[in-house]
Amino acid sequence: MEQNTQASSGSQDFVDTLLSAGRGESNADVKRAQSDETNEMKDTQRPDDASDTLLQLARQNVEPFLTKYHPRQYAPFRSQDGTPEIPRTVNAGYCYRHQPDSKCRRQADEQSMRQLQTELDTLPQSDQQGIAHVWSLFSAAPAKQRKLMLQGILAQCCFPQLSFISASVRELIRIDFLTALPPELSFKILRYLDTASLCRAAQVSHRWRALADDDVVWHRMCEQHIRRKCAKCGWGLPLLDRKRLRESKREIELRATNWGNESSKPLGDGAPNGTCSDVEITVNGKRKIDTDDQSCAMIKRHCKSPAYKPDPNDDYFKTRYRPWKDVYRDRFVVGMNWKHRRCSVKVFRGHTDSVMCLQFEDNILMTGSYDSTVKIWDMESGEELRTLRGHTTGVRCLQFDDTKLITGSLDRSIRVWNWRTGECLSKYNGHSEAVIALHFDATLLASASVDRTVKIWNFKDKSTFILPHPEGVNAVKIDTASRTVLTACDDGAARLWDLDTKQCLRVFHNHIGAVQQVIPLPREIELESHLDDCENDHTSLKDGDTVINALSPLLESKSLSVQPSSFGSSFDQDQDRQEPPRYIITSGVDATIRLWETNTGRCLRTFFGHLEGIWALSGDTLRIASGGMDRMVKIWDPRVPTCQDTYEGHSAAVNCIGLSDSRFITGGDDYHVRMYDFRA
Amino acid sequence: MSAPITLTSSDGVEITVERAVAERSILIKNMLEDLGDSGEAIPIPNARLPRVLTTWQVNEAVLKKVIEWCEHHKNDPPTAGDDDDNRRKTTDIDEWDQKFMQVDQEMLFEIILAANYLDIKALLDVGCKTVANMIKGKSPEEIRKTFNIQNDFTPEEEDQIRRENEWAEE
Repeated sequence: MEQNTQASSGSQDFVDTLLSAGRGESNADVKRAQSDETNEMKDTQRPDDASDTLLQLARQNVEPFLTKYHPRQYAPFRSQDGTPEIPRTVNAGYCYRHQPDSKCRRQADEQSMRQLQTELDTLPQSDQQGIAHVWSLFSAAPAKQRKLMLQGILAQCCFPQLSFISASVRELIRIDFLTALPPELSFKILRYLDTASLCRAAQVSHRWRALADDDVVWHRMCEQHIRRKCAKCGWGLPLLDRKRLRESKREIELRATNWGNESSKPLGDGAPNGTCSDVEITVNGKRKIDTDDQSCAMIKRHCKSPAYKPDPNDDYFKTRYRPWKDVYRDRFVVGMNWKHRRCSVKVFRGHTDSVMCLQFEDNILMTGSYDSTVKIWDMESGEELRTLRGHTTGVRCLQFDDTKLITGSLDRSIRVWNWRTGECLSKYNGHSEAVIALHFDATLLASASVDRTVKIWNFKDKSTFILPHPEGVNAVKIDTASRTVLTACDDGAARLWDLDTKQCLRVFHNHIGAVQQVIPLPREIELESHLDDCENDHTSLKDGDTVINALSPLLESKSLSVQPSSFGSSFDQDQDRQEPPRYIITSGVDATIRLWETNTGRCLRTFFGHLEGIWALSGDTLRIASGGMDRMVKIWDPRVPTCQDTYEGHSAAVNCIGLSDSRFITGGDDYHVRMYDFRA
Repeated sequence: MSAPITLTSSDGVEITVERAVAERSILIKNMLEDLGDSGEAIPIPNARLPRVLTTWQVNEAVLKKVIEWCEHHKNDPPTAGDDDDNRRKTTDIDEWDQKFMQVDQEMLFEIILAANYLDIKALLDVGCKTVANMIKGKSPEEIRKTFNIQNDFTPEEEDQIRRENEWAEE
C-alpha cells in the first residue's frame, strides 16, 4: 500500500523530470524528493521487498551521479498549479544557450507529456523505475555528459528508431527567431519581407507585432520607394515624406541598435492618429551632412551628444510624427488604387469652349480655354473660384506659382496675372503669331509660337533672345539645372538647346509629322535595368541640315581624358551646371510616344496604343499619362513598352493633362475638365 | 603572412584553416591585424606554431559549418556597404548557399549568431534571408506553427490587429 503511493508519486516525478529536461534544466525538486526517498528507505530498511534489490542496485549507480551534478545553487519555486517557475540563478552546468534565464528555452509541451505519462503508467513498476533513472540521469547531466549519453543511445538505435528520432526532432526544433535573436538581427530579417508578409508577421504575437510594426522596419520600406517604383505596388513617396525620411535615417539606425532599451517603446496600440514615436528626437551630433537639406540647421539646434537619451516625457523633444507604417500604408493604398483602377471622377463644368491647358497644385486647379478665359477651381469642392478675362481669343497655355499666373494666347500676347486678386499685371506682345506653349522658372520665361520661334525672356535684366525653328513650335520646357531648353516643333523634331550659347545641342528626329509635346523625365528616374529590350536604332544626329552643333561636342570630347560631357565642355567646367536630363519623352500627331536618351540622341522606345494624334503628355518617376484626338487617356510605365491602362470619359479630344502621384486631370474639346482621384 | 590560423571553438576543439578563409570574418581579420602589429605578442617563427584564436561563442559544430561557408566563399569580392542591400531587397539566395542553409532551426539560429559575432556580413545576410523566406507568404497561424509561437492575443485584439493590417492583403 505504502509502496503504491510512493510509486505513483514517483511517476509524477518522471513527468516533472521530463518537463525540466525538455527545458534543458535540471529539476532539483525531483532529486531532492528522490534522495529523501532514499534516506527514508535507508532508515526504514525493507530489504525483503524483491523489486527493491534492483532498485537499490540502480541507485548505487545513479545516486553518485545525481549527487555530483545536483544543482546546488537554486531552489526552484513552484506555483500552485505545478508549473515550475523560472529559476533566477545561472547554473554553470547548462549548455551556454540554455541557461534558465535564456529566452530561447524550449517550451514544455504539456500535452505530449501527459501522453507520455499515460503510456508510462501501463508499464510494470520496476520498468517505470528503470526508465525514471535513465531520465533523471540525463536530466542531471551537464551538456557534455548529455551529449555523450545521446551519442551512445543513437549508436544503439536501429533505423526505424532513428527515423522516429528524425521525425520527432524536426517537430521539436522550432525556434521563435524574432524573440530569441537580438533586436537588430530581428529587424534585419523583417527588412527582407514584403508588405503583406510584414503585416501578417504583426499578427503573430505581441512581441512580433512590436517588432514588425516598428518605425525601423517601415522607414526602410518607405526608403525603398524613393526614386524607384516597387514592381509590386507601384508607388513612390511624395516629396514631403522623402525629406522627412532622409532626415530621420540616422535616428532610425540608432533606434534599431537601442531597441528594447528604455529609449524605445513599441508603437502605440493602434490609436489611428494619436500614436507618437520618439524616433525623431534623438538627433546625433555625428549626423551626416546633407547639403541640400534646409531644415538641417533647425535640427542642429537640438543637437546633443550621441550618448544623450531624451526623457520620453519631455515634450520639447517629442515630435508628433505619424508612424512610418501609416505613411507607407497610405501610399501603398494609392498605388494599389492606380493598379486596380479604383478612383473617383469629378467633372468641372463651366468653360464654353475647348479646354486647352491646365495646371494644379495642392487644392488649386487652373484651366485655360478657347473661350478666352482662365478659370480657377477649388479641387476638393469642385467650386469655380474665379474667372480671369483679358485675352481676346483662346488661351493656349498657362503656368502659375505662388504669386503669379502667366498665360499665352492665340491673340499672340502673353499676360501676367496676380491670380489671387484676378488682376492682369502686364501684357507682352513678343510674338507675331499665336503663343502655343510657355514655361518659366525663377529667372526665365520661354514661350513657343506658331511664328517659328521660341523666345527666352529674362525676368531680371529684361533681355530677350530667340531660338529659331524651321516651323511652328508646340512645346517648350526649361531645365534650370543644366540651363537648357527642350522644344517640340511642327517639323517632326524635338530639340535640346544650350541657353548659354543659344545653340542647338541635340535634335531628336523620329516622329512622323509634328511633335506636339516634349517633357524631361525626372533625373532620379532609374530606367537602365529596364531598357534591355529597347530599340537600338535611329540615331537622330545624321539629320545634317538641322543639326547645328550636335556632332562637334562629341568630336571635341575625345581629346579630353576624364569622362567628358557629351554636351560640351561648359557642362564639365561649370560646377553649378548639371548635365541635361538623361531621358525625355515626346508625343506627336503620329499617335506615338517616344522615349529618348539625351546624351546619345537615341530613341530608346516607342509607345504604341493611341489611335490618333497625342496632344497631351505628362510624366513623373512612376508613370506617363497621355491624351489625344482619340478621346482616350492612356497610362504608361516608362520601364515597360505596353500600355498600362486606358481611361475614357471625354466625348471629344483630350487636349491637356496634369499628373500627380495620386491623380490626373484632363481638359477636352467637350469643354469639360475631368479629375481622376486615386486617393483612398 | 599566409600562415594557417587555428581557431578554437567554445567547446575547446581546434580547427586549422587558411588565413584567407579565416579572414572572411572581420572580427578575426581585425584580431590578426592587431596581433600582427604588436609583433612580440605571438612569436611564430616560420609559422611552425600556428596562431590560435578562440571563438568564445561558437561551438564546434557551428564553427565547422561557418568554416565550410567561408571556404566556399573565400574568393568572393569584399561585400559592399549596407546601402547596397538597401537597393536590392531581394530574398534570392544562390543555389550553394540555399543548400548550405538546409539545416535545422537550431543550427540556422546558431549560424546567424555566429555570423553576427564573427562579423561575416554575407553569411549573416544569407541566414537572415533564410529566416525571412520561412516567414514569407505564410498566414499568422502558419508562422506560429513554423516557429512554435504562442498566440498571446485575446480574440478581440486579434480581430482588431487583423483589421488594422487588412490593407496589405490584395
